[in-house]
This record gives sequence, C-alpha cells and structure tokens, in this order.
Amino acid sequence: MSGRYEPPRQGGLGQFVDSIFLMVLVFICLLAPVFLSRDQSATAPGAGEVQAPAGEQAPAAEVTWESLNQTPVQARQWEKLGHTPETAKPIVENRFDYTVEPVPLIITALVIVGYFLMMLRWSDREYREVVRERFGDPARRE
Amino acid sequence: MQQSTAQTPPGAAGAQRIALLKVLGPAHVWALGVGIVLVGEFMGWNFSVGKGGAYGSLIACWVIGLLYTCVAMIDSEVTSTVAAAGGQYTQAKHVIGPLMAFNVGLYLVMAYTMLEAGDALVVGDLMKAVAAEFGHADLDPRPFVVLTIAVLAFLNYRGVYMTLTVNFVITAAAFAALVILFFGVSPWEPGKVLLHRELLVDLPYGWIGVIAALQFGMWYYLGIEGTCQAAEEVRSAGRSIPLGTMSGMITLLIAASITWYVAAGLMPWEYLGQAITPMYDAARLTGSTPLQVILFVGTIFSAVASANGCINDASRAWFSMGRDRYLPAWFGAVHPRYRTPYRAVLFLIPIAVVFAFQAPLDQVITFSILSGLLGYTFMSINMVRFRRQWPLGSIKRGYVHPFHPLPAILLLLLCGATYFATFLGYGATLLAVMAFYIIASLWFVFHRYKFVRRGDQFTMPWPRPRGY
Amino acid sequence: MDFWTLISYAAWGIAILLLLWMVADFWRVAQDYDEDFLLSSREGEE
Repeated sequence: MSGRYEPPRQGGLGQFVDSIFLMVLVFICLLAPVFLSRDQSATAPGAGEVQAPAGEQAPAAEVTWESLNQTPVQARQWEKLGHTPETAKPIVENRFDYTVEPVPLIITALVIVGYFLMMLRWSDREYREVVRERFGDPARRE
Repeated sequence: MQQSTAQTPPGAAGAQRIALLKVLGPAHVWALGVGIVLVGEFMGWNFSVGKGGAYGSLIACWVIGLLYTCVAMIDSEVTSTVAAAGGQYTQAKHVIGPLMAFNVGLYLVMAYTMLEAGDALVVGDLMKAVAAEFGHADLDPRPFVVLTIAVLAFLNYRGVYMTLTVNFVITAAAFAALVILFFGVSPWEPGKVLLHRELLVDLPYGWIGVIAALQFGMWYYLGIEGTCQAAEEVRSAGRSIPLGTMSGMITLLIAASITWYVAAGLMPWEYLGQAITPMYDAARLTGSTPLQVILFVGTIFSAVASANGCINDASRAWFSMGRDRYLPAWFGAVHPRYRTPYRAVLFLIPIAVVFAFQAPLDQVITFSILSGLLGYTFMSINMVRFRRQWPLGSIKRGYVHPFHPLPAILLLLLCGATYFATFLGYGATLLAVMAFYIIASLWFVFHRYKFVRRGDQFTMPWPRPRGY
Repeated sequence: MDFWTLISYAAWGIAILLLLWMVADFWRVAQDYDEDFLLSSREGEE
C-alpha cells in the first residue's frame, strides 16, 4: 500500500467559507443557552435579566445585621465595604439551588462520554491511515 | 532582532524555508503560563466562595491544585518530547489521531480567545471605575477594551520575544502586588487586620457546595498548560518547558494560598462570593491608600498579561492547524520579518472583539472553562496512550514524570467531578458547548479532513507506535 | 470636552491606528513575498 493520499487544493473562496463557518457556529452555541433560558422564563416579556433575585419585595420588618445573622465583626466589615443591612440583604440571602435532576444529569453524562468514545473511534481510524502512510504497510513490516 | 535562521532542510534542495524564531528561555515560559492565570487570583476565584463557602473554596483550591499538578506533570513529559507550536494539539495528532487533534486545537483557540475577551472587558470596567472615582460617571469602557486587544495583538504581531518579555515584567509586578498585600495585612498578628476567627463559618451548603465550588476553583490555575504553545519558539524545549511550567505551578500555588488567606480574613463570605474585584476590595478594607493603588495596578496588569498570553497561545494553535490544513492553509503563514504567525493573530482580533461585545460574559467564561476541562480530559487519555505506544526507553524524553498511571487516573476522576460541578451551575451551557464540539467534529470528518495530507501529519522522528 | 472624553477618543484613535498598521503591513508582505515561501514553515524542523 504505497498509494499516498493526495488531497485536493482548496480555492480561496472555500478557505474563506471554512474560516467563517467555525466562528458562526461558535457564536450560535454561545447564544443558544441564553435564548433558550429566556424562552423558559418568559413570563415578563422584554425582561433583560434572566434570573433576577427576588429580593425586591417591600420590606415588612426593619432589616438589621442581627436579622441577617451577621456578627458585629462581620457587620463592621460590611459597613467598611460600603454596605447597609438593606443593600446587603439580597447578597446574604441569595442561595444557590443544588437539587440534582437525574434525567438531565444522565443525558449530559451520556453526551460527554459518547462524545469522547466516538472521537477516539474516529481518531483511531484516521490514525491508522496516517501511520500506514508514514511507516508503510504493517503486513510488510520487518 | 531578526536572525537569519531560515533553514534548508534535507531533501528540499535549495528551497528557502521560513520558521518561527527560537528565542525564548524558561522565564518567558513562566511568564506565558503564570501570566494567563494570575488574573484569576485577582478576580473570579472568589465565585467558588459563593458556591461553597470560604472553607469550600479552600478545599476546591487544594483539590483543583492537585488536578493541575497532574496536568503540569503530564504536560511536561509530553511537551518536552513533542516540541511544536501546537502544544497539546500536536501531541494529540501524534498520539491519538487527527479528529482528536482537531478538537484539542479548537479547545485551545476557544478557551484562550474567550478568556482574552473577558480580560479585555475587565480592563474596560476598571477604567470605568477609575473614571467614576474621579467624578466622570458612565465612561464608555469600549474604547479601552478595543485598545487593549489592539495593543496586545500589535505586540504579538511584531515578535514573540518582546511580547513575552513584556509579559514577564507585568506578571512579576502583579504577583509582587499579591505578596505586598499579604505582608501589608500583618499575617503575623491575627486579629489585628485579619479576622479569620470571626469571619469564617461552617460550610453553608455542606459537601455538595464544595463540589459546586470546583468549577470556579479552576480559576486559581486555569491556563497554566498554555506553556506548551511556546515549545517551537524556546531555545531548548526539553529543559525550558518543564522548568517554566513547574515553577509556574509553584508560583500559582503560593499565589492561591495568599489570595484565599487574605480575602477570607477580611470579608464575610457572602460578600466575597459575589465581589467583582475581591483583591482590590481587600486592599480597601485595610484602609491603606498605597495598598489600594498597588492592588489596582496589579489587577490591571494581571488582566493585560492574561490577554497577552491568550493571544499568543490562541494564534499558535490556529496557525498550527492551518499549517496541517485542518483549517484553511492560508493561516499557516509566518511573517517574513517578525517570524510570527501573523495571519492567525490578525484573524483572531475581530473574533475576540465580537466575543467581548456581543456575547454574555458568563456564557463566554463558562465556554472557556469547559474547553479547558475537555482539554484536561484529553490529557489523561493521551498520557496513557503515549506511554503504551512508546514505552520508556523507546524514544528520548526530555522529562519523565513519576507514579505513571496515577496522575492520569486522578486527573480523569477530578475532571469528572468538575463536569458535575459545571452541570450544577451551567447545565444548559455545558450541553451547548458539547453541541458545538460535536457539530465541529462532524464537519471535520465529513468535509475538512479531505484537504489534509495523511502521512505528513506525523512529524516526530519516532519509531512506529506500538500496536499499530 | 473633559479629560476622560479626550482619553476615550485617544484610545479609539490609537487602537484604529495600530489595526490599520497591521493591515497595511499584511498587504505589504503579500505584495513583496511569494506565498509558497510564507507557507513554507514545517512542524518539528530544527
């Protein structure tokens, strides 16, 4: 198998299209999650923020450092940073939600594992061709 | 600065060839690696505090530190053996195969170009903050973002030696700013400025918060593997790359410890977890104006150094892929006077500007981190195959890392945990990123690969890989 | 026009100048050198 693969020469236009293609693709993938999550939470159309913290209700009781569970030392640092109990409240009370939904987790895991497995398979096929062309046919080795 | 090192390779009778300049030493490698990362200590790492509390962030810092120690060890061995501008891309091409190499090249370009956009935005925002301080509200940050990208691209266009020498100076200055801050808060007198006893609280989310913190824990070190991209331009790759990478890793471990210790001793974790410029805030809390100025300058320098290193690395990866025709061959050109991959540098400028202005920052950053993470996953697979196809002794290695399969296995496990952490915070983005790489892979297999010469991709003077 | 507005314009100006210089140099190189020579770099050559 001494037949070397001779690739076609790519013209200027083809080169240009190929350069742009990847960049357009990346941009679509960057913006997709934003639009998808905007559709899901489209209760208020035109709302710029995807997840606005719900800290803007009318304050029922007076907010103090004690009600935010801040010790006097912590309160002093907050104040040095320019915060009052009112401005600190949404920051202190903002909490992440770590409940794991199993179905999306399994889908994501399958996508990642599948991606790597497929890639290794394809790469291996192409790699054998590279090695064969570079080092000669394995059947006629030595 | 031009040296006439155009070589006449054996076989190409008399044909003049051009190559990248071999002018860099270990200090440049250090500057490239640490320069890209250090901005993460000035901002970004602290989101891990928001995810898992201050102790959660510290544990994440150590666990991810372990991950990166594996990365640095593995990278040092492979790169000291495969010395080419593509770094991990060239490794993948020789050890795993073309499709993997194409993906790794894309990881590098995407991770670095997006990080560059983020860095430039930081510079713009800091300028805006300074203007506000001096009474000019609502300064438009955009000219400063574009200026940052333009100046750094210009440096990169004009030559790698000056680019990385500048990076060495500003990176060292930024690191010095962190050290000065550390001594400025009198760590030998706990309770005077640092208030760990009063400020540190238990894990607010328990252990799942610690895992979630891993995602932003990567900020402490993300990008140190970029040192490999300099391999074709260092004077002696076998020595400089391991030296630069390992000393860089030590620098970062020190910087990460200082950063966490000072910040956790000054700010309540709820504040720290959402601060935009935590180290500057730390300096403000000390009440010392000189410290404030030093940390402000340090933050700007670190952002500029990072963007600079990113342009360097992204353009090397893009150039290498063009040279192999994985991308249009046009990008594989070297500048005849400056000896830089100038077309790749030029092409990536508008891309970075678009990322900075048109895409949401958190998506861009997550895309960048995930591309890095996919790259680390590749490294562990790569290492196992590298040792299997060319066992020790079969080829000359510049450096051999100890405990062989252990770092690779550990790296793979830690990558899995970090994917899970990203899933917790940015599940949709994770899937979008995977969609991008899957579509790009299909495009490569069914369209692009036909332009690639097969046997020529294998450029190392090695024997046939075992098992093929 | 105050100091900060001035500095913004200066930033735009310098950025555009640098970009124009690079594009101009890029064209000069394309005129002066043979494309095959520019693309002649090979991986792994000492």
